[in-house]
Amino acid sequence: MKNTFIARNPSVLWFLAALGLFTALVTIASEATGAGLISTSFVKTLGKTLCLCLIAIAMDVVWGYCGILSLGHFAFFGIGGYSIGMWLMYARTEIIVTESLAGRTIPATPQEVSDAIGNQIFGVVGSSEFPLIWAFADSFWMQMAFVILIPGLLALVFGWLAFRSRVTGVYLSILTQAMTLALALYLFQNDSGLRGNNGLSGLQNLPGMDDVSQATVSLAFFLASAAALALGYLLFAWITDSKLGNIIQAIRDDEARVRFLGYHVESYKLFVFTITAIIAGIAGALYYPQAGIINPAEIAPIASIYLAVWVAIGGRGRLYGAVLGAAFVSLLSSWFTGGGAPNINLGFYTVQWVDWWLVLLGLSFVLVTLYAPKGIGGLFDKLVRKS
Amino acid sequence: MRRLFLSLAWLMAFATSAFAQDLQSILQTHAEEVAKPSRNSVGVVMDDLVASGLPQTTAFLEQWAERNIWQNDETGSFFIGIEDGDDLTLTDIDSGEETSVSADGYSQLRPNGGVRRVIGTALVQFQLSDPDPERRLSALESIGRRADASQLPLLIASLEGEDDAAIRARKEQLINFLTARFGENTDDRIAAINSLSKDTSVEARAVLNQILATEVKIADALPQDDNVADVINTLSDHTAYYAQLVDADLAPAMVSSGDVLAALEANVVEGRVGGIPLAQLNSEDARNAAYVELAAAGTVPPLVTADDVTATLDDFYFYSAYDEPDAAITDAARAALDSVETRVGWSQFLDLSLDGLSLASIYFLAAIGLAITFGQMGVINMAHGEFIMMGAYTGYVVQLFVPDYTISLLIALPLAFAVTFGAGVAMERLVIRHLYHRPLETLLATFGISIALQQIAKNIFGTQARPLTSPEWLSGALVISDVIQISYIRIAIFVLALIFLCVLLYILKRTRLGLEVRAVTQNPGMAASMGINPDRINMMTFGLGSGIAGVAGVSIGLYAQVTSEMGANYIVQSFMTVVVGGVGSVFGTLAGAGLIGFLQKGIEWLNPSNTLAAQTYMILFIILFIQFRPKGIVALKGRAAAD
Repeated sequence: MKNTFIARNPSVLWFLAALGLFTALVTIASEATGAGLISTSFVKTLGKTLCLCLIAIAMDVVWGYCGILSLGHFAFFGIGGYSIGMWLMYARTEIIVTESLAGRTIPATPQEVSDAIGNQIFGVVGSSEFPLIWAFADSFWMQMAFVILIPGLLALVFGWLAFRSRVTGVYLSILTQAMTLALALYLFQNDSGLRGNNGLSGLQNLPGMDDVSQATVSLAFFLASAAALALGYLLFAWITDSKLGNIIQAIRDDEARVRFLGYHVESYKLFVFTITAIIAGIAGALYYPQAGIINPAEIAPIASIYLAVWVAIGGRGRLYGAVLGAAFVSLLSSWFTGGGAPNINLGFYTVQWVDWWLVLLGLSFVLVTLYAPKGIGGLFDKLVRKS
Repeated sequence: MRRLFLSLAWLMAFATSAFAQDLQSILQTHAEEVAKPSRNSVGVVMDDLVASGLPQTTAFLEQWAERNIWQNDETGSFFIGIEDGDDLTLTDIDSGEETSVSADGYSQLRPNGGVRRVIGTALVQFQLSDPDPERRLSALESIGRRADASQLPLLIASLEGEDDAAIRARKEQLINFLTARFGENTDDRIAAINSLSKDTSVEARAVLNQILATEVKIADALPQDDNVADVINTLSDHTAYYAQLVDADLAPAMVSSGDVLAALEANVVEGRVGGIPLAQLNSEDARNAAYVELAAAGTVPPLVTADDVTATLDDFYFYSAYDEPDAAITDAARAALDSVETRVGWSQFLDLSLDGLSLASIYFLAAIGLAITFGQMGVINMAHGEFIMMGAYTGYVVQLFVPDYTISLLIALPLAFAVTFGAGVAMERLVIRHLYHRPLETLLATFGISIALQQIAKNIFGTQARPLTSPEWLSGALVISDVIQISYIRIAIFVLALIFLCVLLYILKRTRLGLEVRAVTQNPGMAASMGINPDRINMMTFGLGSGIAGVAGVSIGLYAQVTSEMGANYIVQSFMTVVVGGVGSVFGTLAGAGLIGFLQKGIEWLNPSNTLAAQTYMILFIILFIQFRPKGIVALKGRAAAD
């Protein structure tokens, strides 16, 4: 079975080989192994990019394969980040608080420890009580389960409501956008229990691992992200190649016909929507410890639109296209906005890319939509067919 | 008759001025009482001053109360003096002539508190019948701010000669307020209180609340002689009420967990406190046990347990008692206040509805252009918000060149329409035309245009908000009562929304263009075979929708700040307005804007501190609403509804 699956999809092997080679090269060149050719911060950037690639293939499955343009998948990404962030922040603060209380003659009561942690975490929003949603923040495994469960459940409920009443096409896009906007607005409140617009911070410091250098930690996260991307890629390649995948693509092409053929279209859509939301949650849980901070601005509607942009530029309907698009655009974006690109002096005006990059991105996006609807992946198709 | 009266008045005025030519001479006749006044003796001076009716008396009394009157030790005459180091700037109390002298030889008059109060009362009396209406009004204002029982007879006395209708009404109102609070006769007071039961003004409510002012008292048993307002249930907050007992020295102080900790830390003996090893003191119970041991040894005050607190609280009654001893009056005031509050509630509801209406008109303005491009043509234009922004910036640029705000507004409205009409037509020709059969990709392409336009605006105008100043006649608010008021800008936006609605309906239903637009929307192929050029119509329709967005931008800019992100703030709400209302129907957009506007204000009213939460709940409501009415409020039926 496995052989035939690979045989039918040689691109999966090519992709895994390329990813493996890339990972090995970065590992050898990183500071953690002593070569030091790639700085720790760039390892982090690469690790984050791999996470973005992971959510991009999820987006590609839901949009490119199933035809649901979800403008809310970054909400699931953010929820994954918040879930793991809660544990990271709680556990680290607990260690700090326990250390500071250890010097006292009389040992602290559990209540005092918990009050002190609450004060540390929520002092910034003028509170010290633990909200209900932090009930399991002390348990790593519970929060890890939440990374999967909360995005999955939210997608299940939302998708069930939406698909059941046959909200399709642009209406669904607007509805998912409303969902992520509602979530972002909710999290912006100070009494949301997740520190309002301060968000969760200090996530790059793993609790109890203060002796381990950031170089090692970031390499570990980079490898974990690469592994997650590889597994996610295999999972989605397998799903899209299966009979299930055929039906999903048929739904994209003509939903009514699939329904008339006797398939329960809603269940298939719901499955795709939910599984991609879970993968998005996992990608977020890997991304934010590398980014170090998460705040509600991260899940504003624009983030999800960018996600669609990456997939469209990379080429919809092929998983490697999504990976290419996400990696290409996000790395290019950090190169331009980070001041890497040289400014162009026109004599009367100097084009500073920090200011003009978004204009270039927006316009190139229009051009890709108009003239290259298959994106970068389309170029590969042409090459393959010629040879 | 009238002439006779006039001449009499003139004669009287002449007679008084002839009788006492200047203030100084009146003061000199009472020099002793003025220089060393006491509360009893100063009355004579006041009587004479009041009788003189001299205009400079007011200024003199004010300065006297402020301790700015100085007396020359030799001549005994009085001056207004301002001390400046060793020097003194003297002002003659009659002529107002200023001289500068050395402070030697002058002594300052220092009236005590009692005398100053008498001066104050006299001053009010003067001001209340001052010939200048401004001064009378300011005196009334100060009475309104600091009401006092002594002002009541003065007000009643001054009412007689009052000829200005407005001031007279104000005086009567204040007399009513003062009677309600300080009247001597219970029946008069109750009548005054009852007359307030229809007055929703903040002032009247304050008067009633002052009558109903209470004080929390603690007693062993409920007293019979006190006007008790309410018996307080201490169960709600043990700690706070117990603290009151402690403050009143009726109970021993509570020992907080912090105090326990401090006491334990201070009494560590050989690694133990009260016989318990330190390591075991990591729970509240163990600490309390150790503390009880310490207390038994007499080292620390005894621990007050939660049971002790409840038992002690049970022994006492906490009740609030009215400051006003007469129960009949407090009952009347309570009834009046209840009735006022019902009225205030209704007024607030009306005010909230007005707010909702104006929010709805803003949403309508933002969404109406979209109702054309998205509703009629089915084009998802994510750059619609940027057209709104473009219109607002057009208004801002016009204001830079035309300083008169009214004229600049009149120029900006059509110019904004022209600019965004052009932008819309260009966008339709260059991009959207190629994507009519790929609606999802229109969404992404227009989004690309949206971020490009937003960034360009940011590059040109910077990130800080730009003001779009409204003309003078649009500032301020229409005040209907203390509770209901609405700003003129909001009224103008409402009117503009109405105009837009009418113009749009007219264009769509009564003009050739509208007919062709509807034809192309329903069946482009058939329309083309009837000689309509669908390309041209699509272009015009898109231009119209975009142009309206530009005009909406100017009006929204007047109400909110102009930033490069202002459009993005409205885009999701605008789409929701159109979707909730029902795509393809102008009335649907109206209904959608109404629903969303009123709903948002309603939720804000339930949770006023938090507009973010209101928006969150509103979006959740909309998501649910679309489940049950996927086609919106005004759903098209029949073949027009086909996708």
